Amino acid sequence: MNRTMITATNTLSQLQKQMDMISHNLANIDTAGYKRREASFTDLLVQEYRNQPNNTLEPQNRMTPFNIRHGNGARLGQVQLILSQGSLKATDRPLDTAFTAEGQFYRVMVQNEDGSSAMRLTRNGALYLSPLSDNVSMLVNSDGHAILDESNQPITIAGNVKNFNINNTGLLTAEMYDGTSQEVNLGVILINKPQFLEQKGANLLGLPENLGELGVTEEEVMTNLAGPLRNQIAIQQGVLEQSNVDMSKEMTDLINVQRSYQFHSKSITLADQMLGLVNGIR
Amino acid sequence: MFKGFYTVASGMLAQQRRTEMLTNNMSNANTPGYKADQAGMRAFPEMLLQRFDKQQIPTEKGLNLPFAKEIGTINTGVYMQEAIPKFIQGDLRETGRKTDVALLDINMPDNGSVFFTVRNTDGTVRYTRNGNFTIDAQGYLTTGSGHYVLNSAGQQIQLSSDRFTVNEGGVLTGENGESATLGVAYANNPLRMIKEGDGLFRTEDGGELPTAVGTAGVQFSTQQGFLEQSNVDISRTMTDMMSAYRAFEANQKILQAYDKSMEKAANEIGRL
Repeated sequence: MNRTMITATNTLSQLQKQMDMISHNLANIDTAGYKRREASFTDLLVQEYRNQPNNTLEPQNRMTPFNIRHGNGARLGQVQLILSQGSLKATDRPLDTAFTAEGQFYRVMVQNEDGSSAMRLTRNGALYLSPLSDNVSMLVNSDGHAILDESNQPITIAGNVKNFNINNTGLLTAEMYDGTSQEVNLGVILINKPQFLEQKGANLLGLPENLGELGVTEEEVMTNLAGPLRNQIAIQQGVLEQSNVDMSKEMTDLINVQRSYQFHSKSITLADQMLGLVNGIR
Repeated sequence: MFKGFYTVASGMLAQQRRTEMLTNNMSNANTPGYKADQAGMRAFPEMLLQRFDKQQIPTEKGLNLPFAKEIGTINTGVYMQEAIPKFIQGDLRETGRKTDVALLDINMPDNGSVFFTVRNTDGTVRYTRNGNFTIDAQGYLTTGSGHYVLNSAGQQIQLSSDRFTVNEGGVLTGENGESATLGVAYANNPLRMIKEGDGLFRTEDGGELPTAVGTAGVQFSTQQGFLEQSNVDISRTMTDMMSAYRAFEANQKILQAYDKSMEKAANEIGRL
């Protein structure tokens, strides 16, 4: 059997996965706060052939150790979440915020279908007010999920708000029409181990279900920036963070992957023709 | 029997092996730190051809003396003897990731090469050029497949977060001031190293390589935020594949010619 085909198909499926990743990045080029993912390859297992059963017959001028070692293609080795800072776009909307330091996220409470709630993270700082009753509104993200404060509670504001002010350490001040004001500390966490985060869709990141099996705790993955740690928070009001997807880079990668894909299909064609030649001997 | 029949068959097999090897190179054209293999072909050991003859001595009865005369040597085939990795420096590509480190050969005496030192969970030491690292649950610096990256004393490197810096001499400085030197080993003849897949190499006798720091004449630097690309030359690989294919085809044609001769021998000789 011609192993060229096996090697090439192994790699084709992995190249396809990388292409999927690139298209996902490109699709989210205008998603506020989106963080791109990047894949890198590693080679697959190597097999050793005893191409010469009797090594004593091998000449002494071999450059490499006995036998030949033959690789079987490549696979995606790591897929990494790149948390680099995206550029800022001014919107002048008081409830649009952006982090200006890497690794900081808002916490979002998401209701699962079975009624339980789960904590998610987002960099998308577009906040909204969602009325809960005639007089009380809750601070939510664009999908209506509650944004949490520093003690993990949903943020509610009573009364009619005239203006919002958010300072750079995440203190939200709501000025009311009756002259009073309400203050709340927006909950911010700092990610220490981004490789343990999963994309949960809707521009949210979350912890994997099997965190315990991975031998890591939530405290190790992220630090809640509360109390004195809040000085580290860097939030800017009236701007949104764009995605950190670089169009030209992704397109270059895409061209690269596509060419690679073509090369491999060419290899399969070559291998097929070789098999055809074998069949055509007689 | 026709001597060349099995010779061309071995030629076909050797070219097929070469194609398989080239495909693997092509597959790893985007693998960081991958070193391209080159095929070393070798002819089967020579054998001596002799011509059998007899000499007539002009006696009354006509005495025949058989004797053999040597014609010369012949090779009866070819096989792929070696897959020789080339340890030429690959290009550096900027990724901007803190956990990517590229090795840059500055001065290597007699074609040696430097490697990162990594250790498997079962304690065996391996070497790699792929600096695409990550940090595991316990904060150890590991390769993408979970091998621990070792420091110059052969111990694991523990970091508090991925916000660390690596200077050109391979010294890591972590966020909380922890510091370690990346273990970089030097192989004066890297061709004797055995490829294991996953970007790993091991030494032939299982021993450990000496450290590169302080080896006479060896100069290298580490570049954080860069990856060493594979040194596969795609266009060359493609042309090599085509030439291997054509050689395979030529051998097949000769095989067909032999087959035709045999057909004649089997079916036409003796026909009136």
